[in-house]
This record gives sequence, C-alpha cells and structure tokens, in this order.
Amino acid sequence: MDNLIKATSKTQDLTYELKIQEVMDVNYQIVNSSMTVSSLREVLRKKRILGVPVVDNDELVGIVSIEDFIKCMEQGKLGETVETMMTKDVKTLFADEPLIHAVMKFEEYGFSRFPVISRDTNKLVGIVTKIDIIKGILKKLETVDQHEEERRYRASHIFQDIIADEISIQLKYYVEGRNFDKAGEASTGLKKTLNRLGFPPEIVRRVTISTYEAEINIVSYTEKGEITAYIDSNQVKMLITDKGPGIADINKAMEPGYSTAPGWVRELGFGAGMGLPNIKKFTDKMTLKSTVGKGTRLETVINLNNYRNENK
Amino acid sequence: MKLKEIKEILNAEVLTGEYDTEMEIEIGCSSDLMSDILAFAKPGVILVTSLTNIQVINTANMADIKAVCFVMGKIPGANIINLAKKDGIVVFQTKLTTFECCGLLYKNGLKSCSYSTFDEFRTYII
Amino acid sequence: MNSLKNIVQDLSLKVVSGDIEREVSGGYSSDLLSDVIANAQKDDIWITLQTHVNIVAVANLKELAGIILVNGRQPEDATLNKAKLENILIMLTELPTFEIVGKLYEMGIHGKKRK
Repeated sequence: MDNLIKATSKTQDLTYELKIQEVMDVNYQIVNSSMTVSSLREVLRKKRILGVPVVDNDELVGIVSIEDFIKCMEQGKLGETVETMMTKDVKTLFADEPLIHAVMKFEEYGFSRFPVISRDTNKLVGIVTKIDIIKGILKKLETVDQHEEERRYRASHIFQDIIADEISIQLKYYVEGRNFDKAGEASTGLKKTLNRLGFPPEIVRRVTISTYEAEINIVSYTEKGEITAYIDSNQVKMLITDKGPGIADINKAMEPGYSTAPGWVRELGFGAGMGLPNIKKFTDKMTLKSTVGKGTRLETVINLNNYRNENK
Repeated sequence: MKLKEIKEILNAEVLTGEYDTEMEIEIGCSSDLMSDILAFAKPGVILVTSLTNIQVINTANMADIKAVCFVMGKIPGANIINLAKKDGIVVFQTKLTTFECCGLLYKNGLKSCSYSTFDEFRTYII
Repeated sequence: MNSLKNIVQDLSLKVVSGDIEREVSGGYSSDLLSDVIANAQKDDIWITLQTHVNIVAVANLKELAGIILVNGRQPEDATLNKAKLENILIMLTELPTFEIVGKLYEMGIHGKKRK
C-alpha cells in the first residue's frame, strides 16, 4: 500500500511537469463534415477508434464518438452526413498545458478523448486519450536515470523498513568558514538527499535555496558553523548555528538591500543584502536569534502538508 | 526556443560536452548576484552571467536552472565544469558581453521573468 | 549615438539624479564593480542591481553616460547624495536586467567589443 502511495505521488508530480504535447497522439485520424454516417462507421471500424475529430479546410468544426454513431443507427439515419450528428461545441486542450489540466478535464466531462490545439495557430495538432496520458507517464518514469532511481528507491523505503509510530530523520552538515570553494557543499548534499527521499521538487527547491543562503552567510562572516535538518512526516525544520560575530540589528538585517558584507563577498556575487529576505521568502517560518560576539542561531520550518495548494 | 538555437545566436561554445540540444528555454535571466537569481529564477531559464566561480553552478543547481552562459570569453576552472557536469547543468561560453547576449536573445524572442524585487520582498518583511 | 532623453522617455525610466543632456554610445551590464571598472567604456549606459555608494565612483571613473538600477531597486541614501553631488545620472526601472537590456538593444544601443 505504501509503495502504491509513493508511486502515485511521483506520478502526480509528472502530471504537473509533463505537457500535453509530450504525450498526445500526433498520427490521428480525422474526418470531414460532409462524410456520410455509414462511411464514418468504416473509418471507426478500420482504425479501431471510438471517436474522431471533424475537420473542414484545416479548421476543427466538431467531434463524433461511437455513442453518436449508435444513436444515429437506432434512428435509422445512416445516410445522413457527419455534420448532422457531430458535437459542434468541442471541448479542447492546448498543446502547452500541463497534463494535470487534461486529467481534470477528463474528470469534469467524462469524455474519452480531447482534440489538442496549438496556442499559436489555433489549429488541431493532436488527440489525447487517457491511454496516451498513462503511456506518456510510464515512458517518462523509465527515462529517469536508472542509478539515481535505484538510490531513490532504497532511500525512500527507509521509512517502510522502520517500525515506529513517528519517524524523524536528522541530517547534520559541518560548514567551514571563509572557504568559498567549499561553500554550497552542505546544501548540495542536502538537496541530493531530499531528492532521494522522494520529496516533491518544489519542497526540495525551497529547503535547499534557503539553506544555501544560510550556508553562504556562515562562509562569508564566520569561522565555522553547523547545519542540521530535522525531517518528519509534517515538516522539514532546519537549524543553522555559528559562533561568528553575530548580527547587531536583526530588523535592519532583514531589510532587502541592507548588507554589511565585505568587498570580497560582493565581488563573488553575494552580499547584496538579499540573503535573509530570501530565506524568509522560501520558508514557512523563520526565527533568527543573534548575540553580538557570541553567534547566530537561525531556525526555519517548511511545512510538508498541502504544499501544492500553497504554491499555486 | 531550443538550447541549440541559443548556442547559435550567442555564437557560444559548449564547455560541458554533449547536451540536450532540444531543451526548451523560454526565459532569459541575467545577474551577477546569486541571491537575485535564487529569488526569482524559474525552471526553464538560461542564466547569463559574468561571474565564473563555483557558486554560480551551486546556485543554478539550487534553483533548478539547467543552462548557464558565461560571457566575455571567461573560461571557468576545471572544478566548475566538473561540478556542472555532475549536476547536469549545460555550460556555454561566449565572447560577447552580457549586454550583447541579453539584447540578442531578447530580440530573438526569449521572454524575461518580470518581477519587482522590492515589492515582492516587502510583503515578506515581518 | 542615442540621446539619454529618448531612452528615458521611451523606456519610462525614473531619473533620480544627474542630467540627461548627453549621448550614449553603448551599453554595459554587470553587477560586479571590478568587472565594470575593467571593461565598461566611456559613454556606456550601465545596467546593474547594485545600489551601493561605490557605483557612483565607478561611473565617475569610467565616464559612463548613466546608471540604470533594475528590478525596482532604489539607491541607498549615501548613493543618491553622492550621485547628486557629482552629477551622476541614476535612472530606475521595475524591469529586470534581461528585459531592459533587450529594449535598449532594440533602440540600437549595443554592447561594445572588449578591447
């Protein structure tokens, strides 16, 4: 059951990442509106399809399904044209929309296929069915780096192999001050680990960007520091501490653009007074305590629940 | 715009070996301040920068940026290229200036991520 | 040559110091002061995120035509005071670097080849 949930959440991510044009069928069949219903039957039968878009002079004018055809048959209207029976108010999707839009439309209308339109030309460019979506997702799942996938699999199953009412993981990183070549190693390691543990990309991004800014601060202003991540099923809490010079005026330090960075830090692309505001921006909760001459303690929290809604 | 088209427009050289020539890049972004990039870059951007230290690659990695272009013929050190390869980031290098790169890419249809740093930040201040 | 007057008008820049009766011969975009000192050329218009007081000294030293601060950034007080004192043109825009450079490029302002 847990396996299924993990797989489903990965699939859910892909429905946001993949675009309709990546999965749609581009070798689709079309008919025109002057075709007779009995010829339509031949097309549906030969191609083994359950519905087909109606296109006149390059313009999408309707769609017909096997249900429409059966209705015609019942009423003995096999000699009439497709135009009389087709659905003219066609629901379509744009090729560049994320897959999730298609999934939502399938649920909303209960149709089995949607014509796909190019946003630029307004012309039909493909057809998408539920099968196309499943195929597209499976193909994408296969192309993810095998080796990394194996590690991810192992890491994300740690939770299942441990028996406890609550599980939390603690990760600790030591940061060397003043060494700009090594700055970022802790955050990079954390990013890799969170990916392997199977966290959603948006969560990984927020945790690692905020941690990276904090790591750069340790390297820029202090001799050394520590970064600890506490991860449980509800949140990622980061604790970042150093025994550096401390921050004299925290309110001032939180102002975008305010900086006490030395020139060498500025020349390296940091120290423009945006680090702390960035940490605030990417986290749900930020607590900064500092004593001049003693050091600084930063605690951040990123909630794991409903992350998708919060980031809409 | 495809990554290979960007390479043509900037007359750039690829420093990281084989790359996904069909990668879609929609947005251009240029800055030499890493926090600015972290704050606003979205996946699917190319970053144009004159900074060539290892933090550019770390920043790109954190912000899910897949393509970086170093300007003015600056050749980054081997450690930077190796890290980029490891993180799967494509690194270009061009003789053009940042100004020329942005101008040419904008002219050829690349969009910019519009934002106002300070307004957005203000809402986050306690 | 493009006049600063046209640029300010066409791109809706906000002028906070200095005067705009001057011509621009090219553009330079960078947030690293040492890079600007090394590579920007006389009469360039400089596009940057930096708001630190040192930008005024750099513009003065390199005889730049003016500075555009991007992303809605405001100059620090010290920067503004010094710019007024030394008559250095500072202009503000809400647009990011990429876009403002793109628009300047469309007006015919190009980056010069590095010597």
